[in-house]
Amino acid sequence: MSLRLENITKRFGVKDALRGLTLEAGEGEFVVLLGPSGCGKSTLLRIIAGLEEPDEGVVRLRGRDITRLDPRHRDVAMVFQGYALYPHMTIAENIGYPMRVRRRPAPEISAEVERIGARLGLAHLLRNHPRQLSGGERQRVALARAIIRRPQAFLMDEPLSNLDARLRVDMRAELKHLQHELSVVTLYVTHDQTEAMTLASRIAIIKDGLLQQYATPSEVYRRPANLSVAGFVGSPSMNLLPGVIESGVFRRAGLSVEPTPEQLAAIGARREITLGIRPEDIDFSLTSQPSWTEARVWVTEDLGNETLLRLALDDVHVTLRAPAGVRADFDSPGWFRIRREQIHWFDSKTTGAIR
Amino acid sequence: MKTLAKYATALLAMALALGPIYWLITISLKTELDQFASPPLWFRFTPTFRHYTAIFSHDVFGRYFLNSVIVSTCSTLIALVLGLPAAYGLVRFPWPRDWSQGIGFWILSNRMLPPIVTIIPLFLMLREIHLLNSLAGLILVDVALNLPFVVWMMRGFVEDLPREIEEAALLDGESRIGVLLRIVLPLVRPGLAATAVFCLIVAWNEFLFALILSQTESAMTLPVGIAAHVTQYEIQWGAMSAAGVVAMLPVLIFAAAAQRYFVRGLSLGAIKG
Repeated sequence: MSLRLENITKRFGVKDALRGLTLEAGEGEFVVLLGPSGCGKSTLLRIIAGLEEPDEGVVRLRGRDITRLDPRHRDVAMVFQGYALYPHMTIAENIGYPMRVRRRPAPEISAEVERIGARLGLAHLLRNHPRQLSGGERQRVALARAIIRRPQAFLMDEPLSNLDARLRVDMRAELKHLQHELSVVTLYVTHDQTEAMTLASRIAIIKDGLLQQYATPSEVYRRPANLSVAGFVGSPSMNLLPGVIESGVFRRAGLSVEPTPEQLAAIGARREITLGIRPEDIDFSLTSQPSWTEARVWVTEDLGNETLLRLALDDVHVTLRAPAGVRADFDSPGWFRIRREQIHWFDSKTTGAIR
Repeated sequence: MKTLAKYATALLAMALALGPIYWLITISLKTELDQFASPPLWFRFTPTFRHYTAIFSHDVFGRYFLNSVIVSTCSTLIALVLGLPAAYGLVRFPWPRDWSQGIGFWILSNRMLPPIVTIIPLFLMLREIHLLNSLAGLILVDVALNLPFVVWMMRGFVEDLPREIEEAALLDGESRIGVLLRIVLPLVRPGLAATAVFCLIVAWNEFLFALILSQTESAMTLPVGIAAHVTQYEIQWGAMSAAGVVAMLPVLIFAAAAQRYFVRGLSLGAIKG
């Protein structure tokens, strides 16, 4: 294991930021820490960096216990949300700084700066100062500064969140390829689930300082471990409809669904359960179909390649994906059917997935 | 009308500020007779440089001037060297609860004391360590006078620095002291310059401590030297004014040179954006 976090606990005053979090990442792995703001994911990153000390727990990097080490002795590099470039230095000085601190000979530094600068498309900016650069360029400088000394781990704290939407998508792809090239274990913090899905080899979903699920993006998407993971991953997010199960049928206002026999067996004697269904696992029709559920079209969103429909069903909204070209007026009736093999069932009390 | 009022106010403020200086300069250029002419000679008098040649041919004046330069620059440098790390530590180190605020206020409270209150203890202490009538003693006292001000000012400038920049440097392999010297110091330079000008002016003009703590010619500073023109038998207005003009010049030159930093430093946020 390249990076291993054991039972990390951190308290700020009376508030628990992290509660006994354990996580490990293999050599060259790209791990994304995903969670709502304030869930403790940034704190975790800062603990690995050495900018915070955990109250309990151990951080190991390639087997070495680095929990109480100064940041400079850890050999990890970090890219900050605000880039954190040194405003009084040129771009070349910024990129070369980690080597200069390590007292490497000047010719070696400038050769490395030129090489990395060229690799990240910064060659023409090396004499400029950070304030003369655009957000995307600053981001590249921050990356260049992180990779120049080939650290044992990369830490990235929402590095793309200050970029505009288009640039973000481009930088995302570039970042992913770069990480593959360098093949250094990377921990990447974000609250953007698309970023997490696209970048990660594994996603760690954190909420309230606890690890909710740690798995590959497709696993997280297909088999969410609990309600918070289910609600957080996927865009538009999974429909979650709490209800009760009575004599083998799930019921809630306006809707009744019969689980498959296997699902029923897994549900067992539970009574209060939540039905989770992804928008793409719901069929829609503008005309009445036998045994489909009727609802009211609340809003339609035409995305060009598909249409998102939001139906009002009693007191909740159900979101579904329909093919491109589906048109429906506000408040017109519509019929939908949930594909029951695709249903994710959750225990409403424990919030855990029922399998 | 509004503009007129504005200009009138500005003019009045200028007259109030510059009037005494104008008077000082003209007195220094007048003969004794002209100095006391009634009604006063505002513009029409024959200037004489007699007083200037007199003070410069008087060799202790040079001594006083040099002493003032030594005392104010040394005390300013020492106050900055001690004050910046102190301010940095107060802002950035993990203090328990509100200790940082408490210590900061305690440091500032030293400046709230009327200086006259401390003069007797200071006199006795300096006598004990044999630093009475010495430049080192004056430097020490001026450092104590300026240090709270330096800490308080620099605390604000350090607080304005984005923490992320320092954290990036720590991760890049820099030590705490390296961060202070190579990251923080260059970034707070405008603030440091403004603070330095303040300290220099305070030390340059300092009169009370210098008067009591150094009474020998070898360790006397300009303000005390100038005041010495008030003698038992006469007040040498001309020489005193000339000395005053000369004493004023370094401060003016320094403030003008540092003006760029001054405005930036005092308006804070010098490195935002």
